[in-house]
Amino acid sequence: MTTRTTERLRRILALLPYAIQHPGTTVEELAERFGVPSRQVLADLNLVELCGLPGYTPDVLIEVAIQDGGVYVRTADYFERPLRITPVEALALYAGAAALAELPGMEQAESLRSGLRKLGAALGPAGVNVELEPGAPSHLEALRSALNERRRVRLEYYSTTRGELTARTVDPWGLIATLGRFYLIGYDHLSGEERMFRADRIKAVELLDEGAAGPPEDFDPGGYRGAFKGEGRLTLTLELSPRAASWFEDYYPVTRAEDLPGGRRRVELPAGGLAWAALLALRLGADGRIVGPSEVLGEARRLAREIAARYRI
Amino acid sequence: MNRVERLLNLVAALLEAPRPLTVEDIRERVAGYDAQPSYDAFRRAFERDKSELKELGIPLETVEIDPFDSSRVGYRIPKSSYYLPDIDLEPEELAALKLASQALMGSGLHAEAGVMKLAAVVTPGSLSEPRVPPFGADLAAEQPLLASLYEAYSLKQRVRFTYQRAGGEETSVRTLETHGLVHRRGNWYVVGRDVERDAVRSFRLSRIRSKVELLPETYELPADADPAERVDLEPWEVGPDEPIRAVVRFDPELAWWPAQNLPGVPLRTTQQGAAEVELTVANLDALVNYALGFGAAVEIVAPPEARARLVEHLAPYLEGGGG
Repeated sequence: MTTRTTERLRRILALLPYAIQHPGTTVEELAERFGVPSRQVLADLNLVELCGLPGYTPDVLIEVAIQDGGVYVRTADYFERPLRITPVEALALYAGAAALAELPGMEQAESLRSGLRKLGAALGPAGVNVELEPGAPSHLEALRSALNERRRVRLEYYSTTRGELTARTVDPWGLIATLGRFYLIGYDHLSGEERMFRADRIKAVELLDEGAAGPPEDFDPGGYRGAFKGEGRLTLTLELSPRAASWFEDYYPVTRAEDLPGGRRRVELPAGGLAWAALLALRLGADGRIVGPSEVLGEARRLAREIAARYRI
Repeated sequence: MNRVERLLNLVAALLEAPRPLTVEDIRERVAGYDAQPSYDAFRRAFERDKSELKELGIPLETVEIDPFDSSRVGYRIPKSSYYLPDIDLEPEELAALKLASQALMGSGLHAEAGVMKLAAVVTPGSLSEPRVPPFGADLAAEQPLLASLYEAYSLKQRVRFTYQRAGGEETSVRTLETHGLVHRRGNWYVVGRDVERDAVRSFRLSRIRSKVELLPETYELPADADPAERVDLEPWEVGPDEPIRAVVRFDPELAWWPAQNLPGVPLRTTQQGAAEVELTVANLDALVNYALGFGAAVEIVAPPEARARLVEHLAPYLEGGGG
């Protein structure tokens, strides 16, 4: 749990070392570097002034002076270096960096690589590896440009829902990586709704000369975790064999589950459309049974016949 | 007195003390504790402060100070483990790492806390943030198992956990020397030397059925450890079946897909414009699953047993069943 106390102490233990090592640094520079307003930096420095070593006589209190706009901190040598990076922080930092490095065409890629090299040299081998299925790197690069330049794009997109390539005009809002893949989120002019597009199913990207409408005020890529937001208009209920029950919930965002006699299990999950739900059922084969809704069952039967025709049965 | 002041005084006192401080020392000498009305109130405040230091990652050590009375302990913060080691980062490198911390969903706050510490050692210079389009990576990196495993890896200490093998019901207790963590296909894997089996193995975190227990035994990380190498590549490459060659056909409208997404796989284009790829398959079910994910646009051409397996999946839905 991170409280305001934790946050403030954490900042002070980083801000003090910098101020000690760089006498004369300005309040504004500290504010920019540590991501808080100047008045917060002043409040932090005022607090620090009251602290020091047991005895708390003037010679062992931390001395803070602000002269001609410059900050000077003395008699706190024990705070001249910041606190170590904890394993949890290192893990998060390495994971974020590894994910970012998978994004093609990053201008900061070289700085990120050398920064990670230096961290590794100081803290030991990172030991964190992240792989994401990117689709065609050139597509992701084009989508990044479109986002940077706020331009509308035309996609050739393979839709499993329609079972065909479709031409989409999209106002891009953001890129996210989830479930091991990249997705584009944006406003889809074909459906008139916000949609997620799996990067590997994009055949072609064309940047249009039209400006794109930006995301809504409250747009938060974090809301798309699990990759089902904005598509899950359908709640699928399945009954699973004991075998499928042992792994199913590791892969799919099950919202309700119930044990049935004989090790079988009934699960409910949001589905990304009728076709997606039907294909999921076919993939389960005899390990799953559709409880509802009935449209999914109808679609699964239709698809099964269509696929079976290819196998001449 | 403000609690942050008290904590700052506590950290300063424990860092600078020439010998470990007892709770009595702390109560009498550290500013901020003298205001506590009773010993009990003091102990409660001190316990709260200890967890705060732990939350911040401050290495607070408890040591025995009386050889005749093990209940008498002292506290200290060793400088050697408190301070960040020397890291000579450039402002652009810090900016890139900051970007990385912002990209991570779920545990971004931890990453940002790390970046703040690094900001203290980067030489003066502009730290203006580069403008980037919104990007978020959901790696489920905040799960507690991952943190425990990574902590053990950082300390190079063995761990023990209960594991359920893929496709099986039975569980077994494993002792592992962690070589690294790998995120692939949306799952986290821990890779390391399985001590009892004396072999490098990978374990999917979602199949770990217990907490991760930190053991006292330490180990050396092998110089040639390559965790990513040890996690299986494609789902159809691992499994119970004898590896065989399979041919999968992508219809003309999807013919671009394997060229774009399966680099390095042998591919030929048929006269009708379809793309046929040749895969090495050790898991027929995984292959069937994969092919069915594309609906009717992808067909397994060979071997016949894979085709038969796919048809088995359809069977419940033919003749009006499956519901």
